[in-house]
Amino acid sequence: MGWCIPVSAAGFYSLVEGARMKEKKVRYVWIPVIIALIAVPAGFYYVNWSKSGAGAGLYSRDWLPEAVFAYWNPDDFYESVQTMTGVFKGEECVACHEAVTPGIVNDWRKSRHSQAQETVYCTACHGNDHQKLHLPTPEICGSCHTTQHADFNDEKRYGFPSHALAMERALDAKHFVDKPKAEVTACLQCHSIATKCDSCHTRHRFNAAEARRPEACITCHSGPPHPDDETYFASAHGQIYLAEGDDWDWSKPLRKGNYKAPTCAYCHIDRGKHQVADKSIWKFGIKQVNPLTSGNQVKRDKWVKLCSDCHESDWARQKLSEMDAERKRAWKKLYAAEKILKDLRDKKQLHPMAKQRPPYPGDSDDTFLKMERIGFFEGQASAFYNVSPIERDYFEMWYFDNLGAYKGAAHGDPAFVHRGHAAMDAALENIRRNANALRTLNEAEKAAGIKPEAEAFWKQGEYTDYNREHN
Amino acid sequence: MQGPVTRDEGRGARNLRMVVGWVLFIVTGSVTVADSEPSGSFDNSTCISCHEKQDNELVKAWRASVHGKNKPLADCIACHGNSHNGAAIKARQDETCTGCHGGRDEPTVHSYASSKHGLILKLEKKEWDWTQPLTQANYRTPGCAYCHMHAGEHNVSAAVRDPDLLREDTGEVKSVQDATRRVCQDCHAPRYLTHLFENGEKMLAIARMKVREAKNLLLHAREEYNAEELDAAENQYQKMQLHLKNVYLGIAHQSPDYQWWYGQPALDGDLLRIKGAISELMRIESANGKQKACTPAGVDGKAKPE
Repeated sequence: MGWCIPVSAAGFYSLVEGARMKEKKVRYVWIPVIIALIAVPAGFYYVNWSKSGAGAGLYSRDWLPEAVFAYWNPDDFYESVQTMTGVFKGEECVACHEAVTPGIVNDWRKSRHSQAQETVYCTACHGNDHQKLHLPTPEICGSCHTTQHADFNDEKRYGFPSHALAMERALDAKHFVDKPKAEVTACLQCHSIATKCDSCHTRHRFNAAEARRPEACITCHSGPPHPDDETYFASAHGQIYLAEGDDWDWSKPLRKGNYKAPTCAYCHIDRGKHQVADKSIWKFGIKQVNPLTSGNQVKRDKWVKLCSDCHESDWARQKLSEMDAERKRAWKKLYAAEKILKDLRDKKQLHPMAKQRPPYPGDSDDTFLKMERIGFFEGQASAFYNVSPIERDYFEMWYFDNLGAYKGAAHGDPAFVHRGHAAMDAALENIRRNANALRTLNEAEKAAGIKPEAEAFWKQGEYTDYNREHN
Repeated sequence: MQGPVTRDEGRGARNLRMVVGWVLFIVTGSVTVADSEPSGSFDNSTCISCHEKQDNELVKAWRASVHGKNKPLADCIACHGNSHNGAAIKARQDETCTGCHGGRDEPTVHSYASSKHGLILKLEKKEWDWTQPLTQANYRTPGCAYCHMHAGEHNVSAAVRDPDLLREDTGEVKSVQDATRRVCQDCHAPRYLTHLFENGEKMLAIARMKVREAKNLLLHAREEYNAEELDAAENQYQKMQLHLKNVYLGIAHQSPDYQWWYGQPALDGDLLRIKGAISELMRIESANGKQKACTPAGVDGKAKPE
């Protein structure tokens, strides 16, 4: 029994201690709870506050919109004209606008809106008070076209790149915030795909058949970072379309058997589902992704099912794994270039360095710890100006050559893939050569005892000054 | 249901039918002759000598235009063909213009062809009635001629800027905007046009700033370095002229791609590469000891290397 007492005492002690610890733990639990109770509403408040400026998006307090933004982002910026007064009926709008702007009335007359059993007049989309007119946003179109609108909104869950998030991401891009607004007006024209339906179904005809044809997409899906037009038209699919497409019946839905070759919409808006991101595995080629995650396997199966409308499923799987391989090759080259640049950055051999040039978009002159942004995850997508030439070389290799090769692979244009990779090889070689020149120069300066300073013109000049003062 | 004349018909009736037939033939024939344009193939001087009498203003407008002034002439038959048969329809179609103004990849054509206007036209042109005059939104979207020869205007330059895009002329801006407005207002609201014009003017001004910033740097660099040394920078400056034109074409033809990817960021790249090329020359010189330090060639021209 003798030894029982100390044991039970120890047991008692540990029990008491445990309870105390528990009490302490419970007490500690309150700390994160309290922090969360303060931080979460404060965070919400801060985000709301930062979105409540004269501009739009997360940095809305940093810029003022151009008047023309109203037409691409009506939700945030459109205000009705005040030159006319009165409340009108649909017939009255038509009667007057037939003389004022005959083009839009002609269009409307040919549209299903005017030919429907119950005519959809101007007032249905624009309102009837001429001093309180609005531009139709997806919400307004969606009040009748509910399925399409619901699909479109649901796309947001796939993240960016997507149509539904296009405007949001444009407005929050650092270079959009930083550059003079009249310069970045160009961005909104394409990114308005999120804020109005007439990007694809042009006003005032709003024809589904028009949007089924590739031409509906290529005002935006063209140019160096996304040569969708070139790569598609050069592919076997595109060649068939170019040769025969004019004779196809475009009133048919985008389903198996209706079209001899697929168009942009046949694959990306398949079965009429208004989502383009639901099958996006490689994310435009903009960043490296693991194509074999379970989520991406689901997307891959969707592609295989779609291609199986015409091809054998094994063939489709083979093509998709060829794309995996192409992406792997591309990223090997890109990372080789990134390594060279990061090495120059570490050794302070970039010229000019971050602190010797205008700050990274969104930063200010007194931002702490200035750093050159290299690669996707550091935000190089916004660093294509006010940087050193070798950084721009990498930007072009990544944004133009790499994305071009990706589009070539995705759309079945092997020549474009080849060209893209040849361009990447050349760019990498060029970056190596330029890096050597920078190193040599830097070492020569050190040997001559010259303190490396950047020339004044990196920070000043007519546009550089204007950009600093206007955004 | 007119059958051949039968023996059952009386001679008088047959004669009457013949007389009526002849009268009809003569009347309709003479009407046709009076209304029809002379057929046959013409050369330019024949077109002009006749059309000067019909519509002298039109001929004068053509003479005043680049088409009528610059050699080789874009004359009547270049656009209308050498006969009256479908002459107007031929001239209204884009292919007539693009024959001279470059193929698909030429920026003037490509900037339009990839715009919403251009793409809709491509899809629908077969359904349109090309006998309609180029006005009053008779066409769903404008082709080349709808804007540049609106309502038959034969001075094609009315809505076109001076090719020297660095030149700023407020008089020209106004006259070009007025001419453009006359076209666009067939479909678009007046306030929309005002906002577009203002915005376009600012966008072009920004592009000009980039070019002038580079030009100014080169002016100073040319005093310090020889042509061979400045080769890379000068080449890049030549590209700037093209990229400036792309911005202009992007605004005029409403192509976001030309405003942006072929325009503004391309100019940004040119500018920083020109700076890079000049900076490299200065650093090499200074490292070789020809110069005391990396004194910047001041953009204001004050601080020049000794």
